[in-house]
Amino acid sequence: MALAVELPDGFASLAERVAPLALAGERTLPVADEFAELFPERGLVRGRTIVCSGQAATSLALALVAPAVAAGSWLAAIDVPTIGLDAASEFGIALERMVAVRTGADREAGRAGRWSDVVAAAADGFDLLITRVPTDVSPTVLRKIATRLRQRGAVMLVLDDPGALSCDGVLDADITRWVGLGDGHGHLQQRQLVVEASGRRLPGRRCRLALPG
Amino acid sequence: MSRSSSPVPVRPSPDQSLPDQSLPDQPPRIVSVWFPDWPVIAAGFDADMAAAVMGANRVIARTAAAAADGVVIGQRRRQAQRRCPHLTLVDRDADRDAREFEPVVRAVAELSPRLDVIEPGWISLLARGPSRYFGGDRVLTERLAEAIGALGASPAMGIGVADGRFASSVAARLAVRRGGPAIVEPGGSPQFCADLPIGWLQTLGECDAELVELLGRLGLRRLGDLAALPVADVLGRFGHPGVHAHRLASGADIRPTSTTDPSPERRLDHVLDDPAAQSSAVVFIAKQLADELAGTLGADGRVCTRLVVMLESEHGERSERSWYRSVGLSASAMVERVRWQLDAWVDLPKGSEQELTGGVVLVRLVPDEVRADDGTQLGLWGGQSEADRQAARAIARLATLTSDDAVTVPVWHGGRLPADRYRWVSATTVDLDRQARAVSAAGTGSGPTGPWPGTLPSPSPATVFVDPHPADVLDEHGVAVRVSARGVLSGHPTTFVLLTGDDATGWRRGRPRPIIAWAGPWPIEERWWEPGQQRRLARFQVVTDDHDGFLVVAEHQRWWVSARYD
Repeated sequence: MALAVELPDGFASLAERVAPLALAGERTLPVADEFAELFPERGLVRGRTIVCSGQAATSLALALVAPAVAAGSWLAAIDVPTIGLDAASEFGIALERMVAVRTGADREAGRAGRWSDVVAAAADGFDLLITRVPTDVSPTVLRKIATRLRQRGAVMLVLDDPGALSCDGVLDADITRWVGLGDGHGHLQQRQLVVEASGRRLPGRRCRLALPG
Repeated sequence: MSRSSSPVPVRPSPDQSLPDQSLPDQPPRIVSVWFPDWPVIAAGFDADMAAAVMGANRVIARTAAAAADGVVIGQRRRQAQRRCPHLTLVDRDADRDAREFEPVVRAVAELSPRLDVIEPGWISLLARGPSRYFGGDRVLTERLAEAIGALGASPAMGIGVADGRFASSVAARLAVRRGGPAIVEPGGSPQFCADLPIGWLQTLGECDAELVELLGRLGLRRLGDLAALPVADVLGRFGHPGVHAHRLASGADIRPTSTTDPSPERRLDHVLDDPAAQSSAVVFIAKQLADELAGTLGADGRVCTRLVVMLESEHGERSERSWYRSVGLSASAMVERVRWQLDAWVDLPKGSEQELTGGVVLVRLVPDEVRADDGTQLGLWGGQSEADRQAARAIARLATLTSDDAVTVPVWHGGRLPADRYRWVSATTVDLDRQARAVSAAGTGSGPTGPWPGTLPSPSPATVFVDPHPADVLDEHGVAVRVSARGVLSGHPTTFVLLTGDDATGWRRGRPRPIIAWAGPWPIEERWWEPGQQRRLARFQVVTDDHDGFLVVAEHQRWWVSARYD
């Protein structure tokens, strides 16, 4: 006789997390429920490149990677020295699994070669990369990087302009309203976003969601 | 209460808190030679030039002239430049520090070959032998000062002699202030330590900031106050870190002297059939050896605190040096030391006895002192995951592709402005598995030490400018809004102008944007008690008509954008 065991909520999510789910078609990293409907696979598929653009690009990128980092993946921020660590921590990113790399490609021309080397090396050891694409990288190099990411199963989130990089999807986040701040009183509490998904592997969906910060 | 007298030796019972009981044996007498702000000396600056060495955008060392102008360690680039406009800034270079330190090490090694290099700018040696040979501690310190002074440049230096590493390191630092050697009489370390403020435990004793702060709050202001407590009570209340602090406070050594001697088979050699002429090849071999050594020691739950590195060339020249690190040497720390030693060997002046004339044929790592590793907290599921190991390998690879300083991890620091709250430190200098203690627990947003009074409520900005961007906040008449000392605004903020560009290319004014919502000022007054370091500023949150949110700061009647909610 099979016993029907009711697991408390916390255990259910834990059981889900430790369950083996490495089937080839399901090689995804988890995302928060609000974002799941933007992806047909309901998660970030390994090996893909996704552009985060719009007014809330950085927050969107941080919120997307947070559940995966919390579950044990490592995050490399390449040439994004301005990343707000308090915000990252509030989204649930475990900062002990976060590394920042500076290649100088965002400040000096002629360092694009180093940027591509660093991205390729980071793809070996990190599941998640957040970066900006330098303007002077050649399309050939970008194609090689995309191949490397696919081989290694790393997900790269590109902030703002991807240049010549061919991306699997674009998420554009615009702020429609801020909640909490008045005319000389209150403080920022929440913002309402419209996230628009487009691109080769993302269905053209739009969703409205509220994001803190 | 009666106590049964057992025939087998038992640990001293807790309430017999005689100092002798907590000191099973006398710690060795140690001489420490310490150069304050070694990185600026290595960079070639004299004390009267205003200069500072930067690591991860923070001041890590500065000259006396810069210190007099209010440049302090830990300051950001722009803050330091504001204090001292003619400040020369150079980037940190650990290899340069080690290279420049080499002549000093050689000079000291002439007097006493058995010395430990703790880090560039800091040497320790056992006092007993050389002191007896030269005729006393004072004569030894004079000889050391003479030998180092004979090198030409005479940077500020402190020599301290005391029983135990901790007391000796503190004495060396006090000696710098005093301008002469600080010698603690044999057996005098407990009294010497008793008068020290409790903060030294954090500075030099590897104690957690949290523990030290707590001890201070409990009214233990001096090390003597802590030493006076029974060690069993300290153990019961604070656990092993507390016992460690207690041991230091009672003038004992940093670690119990009963560190086990490693068995000789731990020694790792690599003999090269083809002499390696490239230093990168030697470093590569050292990396394999170090990984193996740290791995086997780690499997036994032990860590190496003193490592002897021996290199031999095809012509029989040798370089042997002992490296000490009280928290234990990780594999990457071992490799770094091999690299420093190799660089120093290559730079040896022509005609020296052991000058390197051929390729390297032998690399040997000998763990000279090993102790139980008590610092690592293994993960809940048993040690590192595969992802952690992969990431550690990738970090090492990234550091060779760029530079050590370009690969950084966040460490909690604390502060009221977003840019102050975390610091980036070089990933190669941090033991990544101990990293979890230094950064905040996930999702608390308040850092590991609980809430920080005066910070803005969450949510926090996702983009934090390392150096704030200039901006303008104008009132309805187009005049810049001013904030009075009492936090009163001169007008209603209606327009926001962001400046773009950088210091090199100049700043351009952006499009003026109407402000649709704002709040503030939230004033901060920091370090008002320290002249030259006080900061006084007011924070505002501003949302423009296109829904961009900014954290702006008014300081010295100018506006800066400190962060952006994007």
